[in-house]
Amino acid sequence: MKQLRLLAAVCLALAALAIGPALAQEIRIVVVSHGQASDPFWSVVKNGVDDAKKDMGVSVEYLAPDTFDMVRMAQMIDTAVASNPDGLVVSIPDADALGESIRAAVASGIPVVSMNSGSDVRKSLGVQVHVGQTEFEAGVGGGERMAASGVTKAICVNQEVGNVALDLRCEGFAKGLGGEVEVVAVSMDPTEIRSAVSSHLIRNPDTQAILTLGPSAAEPALAALEEEGLIGRVKLGTFDLSPTVLRALADKKMAFAIDQQQYLQGYMPVVILTLHEKYGLMPGADVLTGPGFVTPENAAQVIDLSAKGIR
Amino acid sequence: MTDRTANAAAQADERLRETSLAKKLLARPELGAVAGAVLVYLFFGIVAGDSGMFSARGIMNFLEVSALLGILAVAVALLMIGGEFDLSVGSMIGAAGVVIAIPAATWGWPLWLCIPMAFGVAVFVGYFNGLITVRTGLPSFIVTLAGLFILRGLTIGFTRLITGRTQVSGLKQIAEDDWLAGLFSGDVGHGLFVWLAEAGLLAQRADGAPVVPGIPVSVIWWLGFGAVATWVLLRTRFGNWIFACGGDKTAARNVGVPVDRVKIILFMTTACAATLVATIQVLDAGSADTNRGLLKEFEAIIAAVIGGCLLTGGYGSAIGAMFGALIFGTVQVGIFFTGVNTDWFKVFLGVMLLIAVIFNNFIRRRVTEAR
Amino acid sequence: MTTPLIETREMGKTFGSVIALSGINMSVAAGQVLCLLGDNGAGKSTLIKTLAGVHRPSEGEMLVEGRPVAFDSPRDALDAGIATVFQDLAMVSLMSVTRNFFMGREPTRGKGVLARFDAGFADRVAREEMAKIGIDVRDPSQAVGTLSGGERQCVAIARAVYFGAKVLILDEPTSALGVSQASMVLRYIAQARSRGLGVIFITHNVHHAYPVGDTFTLLNRGRSLGNFMKAEVSREEVLEMMAGGKELEDLDAELAEFDRADAG
Repeated sequence: MKQLRLLAAVCLALAALAIGPALAQEIRIVVVSHGQASDPFWSVVKNGVDDAKKDMGVSVEYLAPDTFDMVRMAQMIDTAVASNPDGLVVSIPDADALGESIRAAVASGIPVVSMNSGSDVRKSLGVQVHVGQTEFEAGVGGGERMAASGVTKAICVNQEVGNVALDLRCEGFAKGLGGEVEVVAVSMDPTEIRSAVSSHLIRNPDTQAILTLGPSAAEPALAALEEEGLIGRVKLGTFDLSPTVLRALADKKMAFAIDQQQYLQGYMPVVILTLHEKYGLMPGADVLTGPGFVTPENAAQVIDLSAKGIR
Repeated sequence: MTDRTANAAAQADERLRETSLAKKLLARPELGAVAGAVLVYLFFGIVAGDSGMFSARGIMNFLEVSALLGILAVAVALLMIGGEFDLSVGSMIGAAGVVIAIPAATWGWPLWLCIPMAFGVAVFVGYFNGLITVRTGLPSFIVTLAGLFILRGLTIGFTRLITGRTQVSGLKQIAEDDWLAGLFSGDVGHGLFVWLAEAGLLAQRADGAPVVPGIPVSVIWWLGFGAVATWVLLRTRFGNWIFACGGDKTAARNVGVPVDRVKIILFMTTACAATLVATIQVLDAGSADTNRGLLKEFEAIIAAVIGGCLLTGGYGSAIGAMFGALIFGTVQVGIFFTGVNTDWFKVFLGVMLLIAVIFNNFIRRRVTEAR
Repeated sequence: MTTPLIETREMGKTFGSVIALSGINMSVAAGQVLCLLGDNGAGKSTLIKTLAGVHRPSEGEMLVEGRPVAFDSPRDALDAGIATVFQDLAMVSLMSVTRNFFMGREPTRGKGVLARFDAGFADRVAREEMAKIGIDVRDPSQAVGTLSGGERQCVAIARAVYFGAKVLILDEPTSALGVSQASMVLRYIAQARSRGLGVIFITHNVHHAYPVGDTFTLLNRGRSLGNFMKAEVSREEVLEMMAGGKELEDLDAELAEFDRADAG
């Protein structure tokens, strides 16, 4: 009995915590993304969301499935719609799976802004505006940069095969490079990624460049190059930043990082939706947050911001 | 009555011959895993023999992946023999990594303080898991599943609260001049490998350094921990208690085995093994990530089962778990040498594991029937 | 008269409002076999568990070698020399004979962290102890699961004897066994008695109890129907006093009736 009562009390307290802010503030925005807050990239997006929430003085809830699970994410969007927020921010990595839920949100009169992924499909779903970078073009940019330095044979390390955005990056990279690109599918474990990259290099010693699709793969790939003594000879580029990637850039151990300035992807949609709710404003075209390239030349400036969780 | 005649026949038969060594070997639980490993190496020897997989570099690659899983699998095997599961080890890897990295990188604490602190946290987590399991009598599967979520959540929550990110990096430099960190990072036998390279027994890189700087320290830990675990299991009182707890909890308690204490110690061991893995990985990668160790709890259980542990407890071996991890690690890395498109990676991994387990099971059944 | 090894005086046990046992008086001396007889539900299990230290008596007292005792755990009872062999035998069938034999009391060699299980010594003792009771364990490293029921029972008893039990409490050791297996166990009980142990033999089978028993205590619905010396009662009288005695007689009569009907 005692335990039950305690449990009930705890539940009530938690519920009060959850409801409290929602009651106190007027404008309420829900963000549903496919990236868990534990991913370094999404961690920065969430910092953007949190800062915008503070700056705008609105209430924001951030939801994301624990794994790359589109069904779960669609359910989260449905839940968000049911709570009837003043604005909804979604990432759209898989339009087929999420389309219906997003259309339902639009149909119930909730202004929807997409971010990060979904620029190609947002119009057909009735989403007002997109904040992000176009993955394929960003990949092409990376490929062209590699091609300019004489690379013809490269690998694209994909830690999340099946994520359309990541697959597009690899495809864009292949197009931009115009040479031979092999996709290497890996898991999330750093030791395994390092072994995978190193094994691939042993088997294919003529590989000239590596593109990783995120810092969590870039760091082990860098370690693999260091072990093989191939730093500088095999060019390493990555999508997105982390402190280690930035230091490697500053030390000229890496060629470049494609930065989509994801802090903006968290910050801007909240601002847009707040202003839309307050004054009925809406940008006329998609907001492109990237691609920006961080190279050994400009790495130093970026390092400072990265430490603060903004880049 | 047939029972008695069969018995008598067996008795008469047994007197004729001593149990042969081969038969004794066949009765060991790790046999299936050893045989499975041989099968895996035969396969890769044929398919990828000339691809560099069995060069010094290639061998170190799959040994290192196997070693980290192996450290975990050995501890998990002990716990499974003791009749319990620990699903929180994966989350513990993430948590321990952060416990080491945040104070070291953010507040500048020395690593010789952070590492023991992480082990302290592990002992506490293990104690907590064990205590709840033995006190409530709930299946540890559920208790530690809750632990899996709580621990991962706490890790993400605290890391973001303190650093605003989910990755903590910058430990490489700190680790270099810390005496304790040396135990968990780098390579062993560098001098020997340099000598081997100079003597022409080992390939050299373009800059004259040996292709392999030494044996990764994780491999040494793996072998050492496996050896200690095997010794404890087969040659100490505590080992007998582990078998007893998993075989029949009530029976063990009735003859005075401190069942609760044994289980709690085993839970602490798995948490500490996870912390050991985390320490090695953090110092090796130079960074901690709240996502480290995802799904490792299942990989460790799979390795232990390949190694001959029964899911119901009371039977298994630490050596078997080491071989289970070796099979897992070898298959995982080996696929890159076969040239198979990595899209098919998981199919390949699954099929190899299934074959290893079926083969293992087949051997074990043959053995138990023969007795 | 010598002090009994174990004695209870007006001992009782209640679980909430349920009276499981009350007013139990009994005693066992060295070299004596006490048979505790009773049908299912007579309170035998509660009595054994109380003697073994699993339960604490709610009333009355228990004396070991004349001194009143209160056991907190089965471990205390064991330390006092009272070893109980429960029906589940406290054996792990996946473990070897040796490992079961020494489970919880492993012999060690060496000191401190290097203290190790003395497997050679353990194997030797297990084989010798089993040989003493006429069971030839071919390979002490074979799993207990491969032994027959009677052999298993004997391993459990031999284990208790080896570890210095003064009083052996055997819970239905013969109930699940065939005739030859049961006689193997009974022979061993007699052997334990002749080595000066006190034995409390719980059973509902008078035919198993009578040949080895010196005294008989009958339980019915949590109460004692009295203690009897072997000289005082016949097998049939014991049978009759048991709860089932009357029914069995009626059954005999009924069967005789059928026979007559068939004949007629």
